Amino acid sequence: MDEIKLKIKKNLKFPLEADSITPDNFAGKTIAAIKKLPVYYATKKMTIGDFFDVSGKSTEVGNTKIIMEGDLSNVKRIGEKMTGGEIEINSDVGMHVGNNMSGGKIVVNGNADDWAGAMLQGGELEITGDAGHYVGSAYRGFWQGMKDGVIKVKGRVGIESMLWAKSSKPANKWPTLYCGSADAFLGIHNHGGTIVVEGDVDRCTGADQAWGNIVVKGKVSRLLPSYKKVGEVKEVQLPNGEVIKGKFIEYSGDHTIKKETAGRLYVAA
Amino acid sequence: MVEKVRTVTDVCCPFCGTLCDDLEIDIDLKTDQVVEVRNGCQIGTKKFYASNPSEHRFEKPLIKKNGELTEVSWEEAIDKAADILVKAQRPLLYGFSSTECEAQSRGVELAELLNAILDNTASVCHGPSLLAIQDVGASLATLGEIKNRADTVIFWGSNPVHAHPRHLSRYSDFIRGYFRTDGRNDRYIIVVDPRYTHTAQIADKYIKVKPNEDYELIQSIRAVLRGTDLDVKEVAGVPIEDIKELVERLKSANFGVLFFGMGLTQSLAHHRNIETAIRLVTELNDYNKFILIPMRGHYNVAGANQVFAWNTGYAYSIDFSRGYPRYNPGEFSSVQLLMRDEVDASLVVASDPGSNFPAGAVKNLFKHPLIAIEPHKTPTSAFADVVLPAAIAGIECEGTAYRMDKVPLRLRKVKEAPGESLSDKEILERIIEKVKGKLGE
Ligand code: SF4
Repeated sequence: MDEIKLKIKKNLKFPLEADSITPDNFAGKTIAAIKKLPVYYATKKMTIGDFFDVSGKSTEVGNTKIIMEGDLSNVKRIGEKMTGGEIEINSDVGMHVGNNMSGGKIVVNGNADDWAGAMLQGGELEITGDAGHYVGSAYRGFWQGMKDGVIKVKGRVGIESMLWAKSSKPANKWPTLYCGSADAFLGIHNHGGTIVVEGDVDRCTGADQAWGNIVVKGKVSRLLPSYKKVGEVKEVQLPNGEVIKGKFIEYSGDHTIKKETAGRLYVAA
Repeated sequence: MVEKVRTVTDVCCPFCGTLCDDLEIDIDLKTDQVVEVRNGCQIGTKKFYASNPSEHRFEKPLIKKNGELTEVSWEEAIDKAADILVKAQRPLLYGFSSTECEAQSRGVELAELLNAILDNTASVCHGPSLLAIQDVGASLATLGEIKNRADTVIFWGSNPVHAHPRHLSRYSDFIRGYFRTDGRNDRYIIVVDPRYTHTAQIADKYIKVKPNEDYELIQSIRAVLRGTDLDVKEVAGVPIEDIKELVERLKSANFGVLFFGMGLTQSLAHHRNIETAIRLVTELNDYNKFILIPMRGHYNVAGANQVFAWNTGYAYSIDFSRGYPRYNPGEFSSVQLLMRDEVDASLVVASDPGSNFPAGAVKNLFKHPLIAIEPHKTPTSAFADVVLPAAIAGIECEGTAYRMDKVPLRLRKVKEAPGESLSDKEILERIIEKVKGKLGE
């Protein structure tokens, strides 16, 4: 793979909006051309070259890997709308990383701020630390958020993660979130998304879920009263074919949406 | 007999979102001061009296020099204000809810000119309602319709006896309406609140909900409404039998209304509380007519949302940094921006964030240059670098305001503002002119 290295050379007082940093935008460009791509700092339009040392080379999108170094905790929108290639971020990262991406892979070796992987349409986002609120969620006012792809968060995800996820059986699209633990309102308004939590989750998990699967291998701090116990199972089969072994209590819900619902929440027995 | 006072009638009260429009104000002809207020509640009346000149009111523009607020000319003060705003890299314009609509639209103009962040107090009160309405819509009505038709009235997390004192007698409870000829006797009042408030004490039914469990309670009401037999015996401290009874009561209503306040918007789950409440109301429309109304606090916060929305597409938390409006509460809302210390100068219009923002945010607000357009001494103006004395909209200048049900009403001018005070609109216009000059436009 062709590698392009970006090392941040300034301390940021304000957030830097760097939606131009994607393999799509870098592919086939010279270093000089990449340095001229726009970024936004406070109210000013500036360039990548103003903030980053850039080196390496790239040819086509699928073969481009961007490696980012330095403190990027206040750099927003890296990987926005990317369709292929890879980004490796060796730092904490600011808001909206990988939002609307439809292909390729982003790895964050650190924590991510809010809205990581928001409206994901495909591809893979991996975060080795914790993530902020609204991981893989729909933006304000959207009724369909994450539609495909996979998000893996080793640590905790913040509130309202996977909001308005939407699967499609005919198109074989199964948006999936794996995480270590989760705050309140995980998978709210779920319409077919799959969520697997290794540890515990906070209150209101699966609120207003229409259909879909949420598997919690730990505890739920306060189960919604509008969920009903169905029985116990020894394994859970996910729509993407994966099977999760273990004893779970199966709940149906959310019954606020329908009296009989295909929504399921599995909590370790 | 020689007249000593003149009376202004049909005056709107520029205090709370009830926006009563029947006040009568007596003004002393000699001193041009408010001497009598009729029809207003205690808090509304107080606002009129507080407009009289006093040690608490600013009468001249002030600039902080050597740590002291010093009187200066308008020219100098406006120049200083424009200078601060133009030099700032990420300015914030905040407030606007206690002024009239034209001043608010000048705020939008200035924000656009400066590529600033523009926010109003909805950010810390009913912002969650706006988020929820954006997600699931809302069935609304005017207060007049409620007065004439409502037979079932719920107050959830709202205590109008104290926060909107004349609401009950003008629109929602005691008032006789076209189809509710017996007033209070024709209505069934339900109050849901963790505390046994004064509103709860005059209700037909009080439901004590555990703090921060409103969401669970509404979810179970909705599930029961769907015909689901729940596994649990009680929710949020309310026995399931009571929930079933409540659902029957709501279903059998003729015209129901849910009024909700900050007890619902600012307790845990915030906008999700409102969202599920809206959905409950929507689902109740399968059985009858049911609507909901947010109990807006500031008299024209609804107007601020309207004006911002028709100008930018968004009601609050708007960022112009990229030259066009973007919106994302949490990212561009004042408190969060200040907490992260992302703002390097602020202009506050008719609001007092210094006394109601979290301490961390206030600290950062005061750390950077601050301009206050404000009639009275407040914690915010005490820490301002520039104070621009404003005439009080609805008392000392005209304008338009939106009631909590989004009905626009005309505000009246009943007297002159003291000293050199100017209207918020005029002050903002002068700043805009100066800023344009400095930007070379
Ligand atoms: S209820 Fe509100 S608008 Fe009416 S007089 Fe009292 S403060 Fe003013």
